[in-house]
Amino acid sequence: MENIAWSAFDVLLIAATLSLAWASLTTEHLRRAVIFFIAFGLLLSLIWLRLKAPDVALAEAAIGAGLTGALLLAAVADHQKPINKKPDQKFSLADFVANTFLNLLFIAFAIVFGAAYTFALNEVNDSRLTDIVFQHLPGTGVTNPVTGVLLDFRAYDTMLELAVLLAAALGVMAIGKTRRDFVKPGDMERGLSQWLIPTLIILSLYLLWAGANAPGGAFQAAALLAAAGVVMRLTGYVDGGLPQGIWLRVLLVSGVGGFLLVSLIMMFAGRIYFDYPESWAGSLILLIESMATISIAATLVVAYLCGQPDTWFGGQQKENKHAD
Amino acid sequence: MNSIIWLVAIPLLGALLCTVFPRLANRIGWMFAAGNMLAALLVMHTVSQEGAFHYVIGGWSQGLGIALFADSLTALMVVMSAIIALAVSIYSTAYFTDTKKQAFYWPLWLLLLTALNALFVSADLFNLYVTLELLGLAAAALTAMGGSKEALSAAIRYLLIGLIGSLTFLAGVVLVYTAYGTLDIAVLTQQFQNNKVSWAIATLMTLGLMIKAALLPMHFWLPPAHANAPAPVSAVLSALVVKAAIYLMLRLWPDIFYPLANIGISYVLGGLGAAAIMWGSYQALRAQRIKLLAAYSTVAQVGYLFLGLSLIIVLPDGELRHAVMVGVVLLALTHAFAKAALFLAAGVIMQRGGHDRISDLDGTAQTLPVTTFTLALACVALIGLPPSGAFLGKWQLLTVLLHEGLWFWIIVVLSGSLLSAAYAFRLLGHAFGKKNIPHKRLAIGLEELPALVLSLIATLVLAFASAPVAKFIQPLSGVSQ
Amino acid sequence: MLIDQILYGLCGIVLFTFGLRIAFSPVHFLRRLLAINVAGAGLFLLLLSVAYRGFDQAPDAVPHALVLTGIVVAFSATALAVALARQLQNRDKENE
Repeated sequence: MENIAWSAFDVLLIAATLSLAWASLTTEHLRRAVIFFIAFGLLLSLIWLRLKAPDVALAEAAIGAGLTGALLLAAVADHQKPINKKPDQKFSLADFVANTFLNLLFIAFAIVFGAAYTFALNEVNDSRLTDIVFQHLPGTGVTNPVTGVLLDFRAYDTMLELAVLLAAALGVMAIGKTRRDFVKPGDMERGLSQWLIPTLIILSLYLLWAGANAPGGAFQAAALLAAAGVVMRLTGYVDGGLPQGIWLRVLLVSGVGGFLLVSLIMMFAGRIYFDYPESWAGSLILLIESMATISIAATLVVAYLCGQPDTWFGGQQKENKHAD
Repeated sequence: MNSIIWLVAIPLLGALLCTVFPRLANRIGWMFAAGNMLAALLVMHTVSQEGAFHYVIGGWSQGLGIALFADSLTALMVVMSAIIALAVSIYSTAYFTDTKKQAFYWPLWLLLLTALNALFVSADLFNLYVTLELLGLAAAALTAMGGSKEALSAAIRYLLIGLIGSLTFLAGVVLVYTAYGTLDIAVLTQQFQNNKVSWAIATLMTLGLMIKAALLPMHFWLPPAHANAPAPVSAVLSALVVKAAIYLMLRLWPDIFYPLANIGISYVLGGLGAAAIMWGSYQALRAQRIKLLAAYSTVAQVGYLFLGLSLIIVLPDGELRHAVMVGVVLLALTHAFAKAALFLAAGVIMQRGGHDRISDLDGTAQTLPVTTFTLALACVALIGLPPSGAFLGKWQLLTVLLHEGLWFWIIVVLSGSLLSAAYAFRLLGHAFGKKNIPHKRLAIGLEELPALVLSLIATLVLAFASAPVAKFIQPLSGVSQ
Repeated sequence: MLIDQILYGLCGIVLFTFGLRIAFSPVHFLRRLLAINVAGAGLFLLLLSVAYRGFDQAPDAVPHALVLTGIVVAFSATALAVALARQLQNRDKENE
């Protein structure tokens, strides 16, 4: 009986997710498309929970749906055009044939891919790398296997991923300055922010601390911290709570920098690159994670601000901190 | 052992420092490029002394940690990138004069270099995906620094198509993990079988890499991006970034996907390569600007490399395959140096003259003699005239094609070379055109030197170095050793 | 091989393919960006389905880490794309 209930839940969840994806990609209005996308992201987090991936669910909700959604909503505002009534497009045979051909091609692709996936599932023993991970997990000083993989076994990948984030932030800043326009905050926003922001900060610290032994970790904590920054920005703090000048620059690089420093020090100390001494592993991971959390949070806020903050080169913040 | 790590750590550290100290970025930038060169030479030295080596980060067992790998091909790619990177860096110190631009150019450029190095030494499939993404993002951001509307729109297109390519590659990686339970290339090579799932994997990864390498028909993003980016960025894009995807094809097909080798793929890849050669060369002939000509020439060159690749896939391990391998490597190396030289020279011309229209180039030989000489050398290398490395590369390719009786491909290669000669001489004809200019003293700007050195390497050094290079390229023993 | 793995995996494949299909159509740039994100989400779903080992068994942690990395990378790319598009839009407005 339970199994049927779960299966029904699964089918509903999948149907809802696919419908939202369809709606998002085919609706005519861009803003609606983004909102459907945010809802899609939230349903995706539910799926992650269903598949026993709470760490990923946290990150998806915060970054995938939340921050990406905020970013895209602001982007839609950039592209607002006056609504023109499009002249009815004449039916073009060439277009129709091309479209149908592409559709068939992609359907065939999906079928082949699906078949390959189903066959592939059978090829290997179900546990794949699970056993090796759990076998070596005690040596990492943490009990959350995802944290172990991210910050110890495959730490090199995480370092490079932080470099990707840094590259995106640098690119965003190289292109132009931050957005100037926002609505003046009202009383409700100010009141809300006064308790919302501290709550987010505390939650973020909790996630960071808990990440060693429970779902959580640097990325999730950073996402919450970045959310606090976005709230600050939306309630009138132009710089989103970011520090100024050289401190901001140091903050942005300290994520990658933390990884690089620790790994190189290990190398100089005679160990292999990224080989943490066992008794220190837990503390080292926490250290790297802390640096990474604030660094990632700052980078996420810069990415959301979509441009170069006024204070990047150490100048003065151009508008009042709290626009009245 | 550690030299591999320095390849990734040095540019990365440089990027971080340039971000924090934007006013010193110029100096930090080229110093770290020089440091990168030392690391690359160290890797080459280690490989030539001890042979290929394999290294798991963190000392974990294979499959748990991420593995790095370096063999002779890796060493060549890394040294080639390092030399070009140093030349481009020195040129960049003169090119970007605005501190605000320098503050972002140097970190992004060094991050691109990090991604390149990390890609060349990686032996883990997901790690490869991450490096590909870093490469694509940094490259797109740098392209946008060209500032013009064309640069911005080219950058967006580059970014989006690059994302599609990476995602397709990732789809292949996901299937690999599903079917083989590992992300490690060495482990995968041992376990790879010829079945339907493996075909799906190979197809997905190849499609992704084809997009990244701009092989016809997925090439349309390349000309606008390379033509509108700032000159040093274009040099890097054409010379190095495109090579990364081709390097990956060389890594994947002869080693991992070997059980899948069959004549059909050879025809598909070879056919697309041939089409790329003809189409790219034809468009280069029609191009009105130097940078556009150079960009289309890259499209054609990618075609040559895929043609060679299609041969490598089907030939059994032996002398013939090794000959093609040497040919492909020589072509890739020569093209990298020559194209970088061409773009840097175009940059100099643009800065002095304000434009790079080919038909208005008259008088360049008189005002910029060194740069014109560089152009000539670069063109020699691009056409494939002796003694350039490209000549030897094409010679190797043609020899094997002759041996196998593949007349159609021979005609394609020869026609392609003829077309290259046509557009090269068109370019040079205008550059050497006489104009009434008061005679000035011969002056060499610092910014002309890097291009000159690169073109000399392409035409002369590689010619003399080709024999040692050929011996150095071990028959592809594969990552599994 | 569990039925849930197949169910969610195929859902992922549908998302991936659908996303790519829209990405290759002549649509507004923002929608193309959304499509690419949806395609990425499809791949993440595929990875997590492979990691799932059943209701009462610990899942495979490696794909979880890979998906986390993927989410951050996807956000980075989206942010850069949005910034580029915004600047292009500004240039167009200046020229009007």
